Amino acid sequence: MDASTIVCKCEEINIAEIELAIKSGANTFDDIKRLTRCGMGPCQAKICTNLVRQIISESLEVPLSEIRPPRLRMPLKPTRISALVGNEVSSSVISVFSESAPQEDDENHG
Amino acid sequence: MQIVNHSIPGKKSEKEITFSFNDKFLKAREGQTVAAALMANGIKKFGISRKLQQPRGLFCANGRCCSCFLTVNGLNHVLGCITLVEEGMKVSSNDADPDVRRKANGD
Amino acid sequence: METDLLIIGGGPAGLHAAYVAASNGIKTIVVDESFSLGGQLRQQTQRLTNLPKQFDSQIGITLMQTLVERLTDLDVTILSKHTMIGTYKDGRIGVSNGQRTIPISAEKVIVTTGAAEEAFVFPGWTLPGVMTIGAAQIVMNREHVIPGKNAIIIGSNDFALEVGKQLIENGVSLQGVIENEDQLIGCKEETIQFLKEAGVPIYQNSYVTQASGAGEVEKVIINHNGSEKEMEIDLVCIGKGLTPILEPFEILSCDFAYEKDLGGWLPQYSTLMETSTASIYVAGNAAGITNLGAILLTAEIAAISVAESLGRQCKEEATEKRELLWQELYHLESADSKAKFHGRIKLMREFQDNVDIQLSKLFNMSVGGV
Repeated sequence: MDASTIVCKCEEINIAEIELAIKSGANTFDDIKRLTRCGMGPCQAKICTNLVRQIISESLEVPLSEIRPPRLRMPLKPTRISALVGNEVSSSVISVFSESAPQEDDENHG
Repeated sequence: MQIVNHSIPGKKSEKEITFSFNDKFLKAREGQTVAAALMANGIKKFGISRKLQQPRGLFCANGRCCSCFLTVNGLNHVLGCITLVEEGMKVSSNDADPDVRRKANGD
Repeated sequence: METDLLIIGGGPAGLHAAYVAASNGIKTIVVDESFSLGGQLRQQTQRLTNLPKQFDSQIGITLMQTLVERLTDLDVTILSKHTMIGTYKDGRIGVSNGQRTIPISAEKVIVTTGAAEEAFVFPGWTLPGVMTIGAAQIVMNREHVIPGKNAIIIGSNDFALEVGKQLIENGVSLQGVIENEDQLIGCKEETIQFLKEAGVPIYQNSYVTQASGAGEVEKVIINHNGSEKEMEIDLVCIGKGLTPILEPFEILSCDFAYEKDLGGWLPQYSTLMETSTASIYVAGNAAGITNLGAILLTAEIAAISVAESLGRQCKEEATEKRELLWQELYHLESADSKAKFHGRIKLMREFQDNVDIQLSKLFNMSVGGV
């Protein structure tokens, strides 16, 4: 197939870029993510996970059962920052990012 | 059962509503998603991709792929496939990332 | 918010689990991302066979209505348009409706997020007009909009062929089924016969070399047995199967396993349908891609395990019920694919630590039969 074919639809990373990352030593999806931004767009690899795993499998001749999906992170869906912050003046940004533990009063505005 | 924000399943309204896409007025049926309402009007291209500016439209229809991003009532990056169309809704195509940095700098 | 049981996903598994749990007096919240309940049942117009014996054979839309309506008098709170976006450090689950994020504190969680359709890459696949076969079915049967005039389907599993039939019944001209293998993947004779009689060309040993068009797909070139053929097409449906949705399980620190016959990577679970993270259960397609009968039965098993651990059912009663449900599941799933059930057993055997019931008879039945 044409190596310029897009695999990651969000960040528009093509087959050639993924194969180059693999030639440069990447052997997991997370390596490819770090090298190319593949899977780091709005969908967060929900569409390209198995496409990229397939390319890794074929390039490195490793069975699919040995290639894990990328690390999945919060928030699990595109979320506006306003939705992560409480709507009271006193509230701190606790959110699911959870830099600090949630406080008692977040039930009131949550 | 307490129901929150839940339309009665199985009942497809025949009520016609009007919304706009890129300032052009279009008809839709109440209870349809924005994506379906656009497709009913022959519109498949909902926006362009962020890097190569290639056309994008409905792909997974399940709120996962983000390919159906639209601007709805001024709000960027709304998933057209899981958002219901409403009377008077102003929809426009998703043609760029919002320029957050510029706004923050007050330019 | 506080609840005994939180169910993530209001499709068939989530709705059935909610019914079984709430019928046992368990206060339940169901969170669903969409504007209405039912998940993928909402656009299934084909007759569903292989349902558990408590359900009559019917189409998905009526089954959805049944599953929703029988929650009416139970202690079930439905949060539609709410998505799980993560967890807090104290274990509460963060659910967002787009405007704000609500922490939900639950004794038990059943994750029934189902499956996602596989994508498939070829030059031009990102164009509008190229969509998954499930998306085409949603547009057509749920939204009542025709997704295109001249269509092709890439892939030939039973679901893709079934939706192909539905496209034809709704006036779409289906100009080809493109399969890169040398035979069809699907095996439902009735559907294949329908497509043949409708004159749909089946291209085996074939693939799409390119889709192109100005702003949306207008033309497709396929390679059929080595020779190229150009077609005027405005709808390309990708029917390459399903894979379990993983992201909630990763955030909940569940261990994964790989089982090809269950759709690839998926959370590990016991015969209680409990994952490696205590109090987090899984059911439905998220526990392995299967038919609707098995989807409903895994949900019932999970709900009974929750009822037992919350003290609403005694151990003996719960164990006996699960044993019967696993047997029914074996029969329903094996009717479609023995390999699938075998994969399930393998997955559970590799994760045996907290299995409380002896299913050796059933295991041997299955393993002996493969």
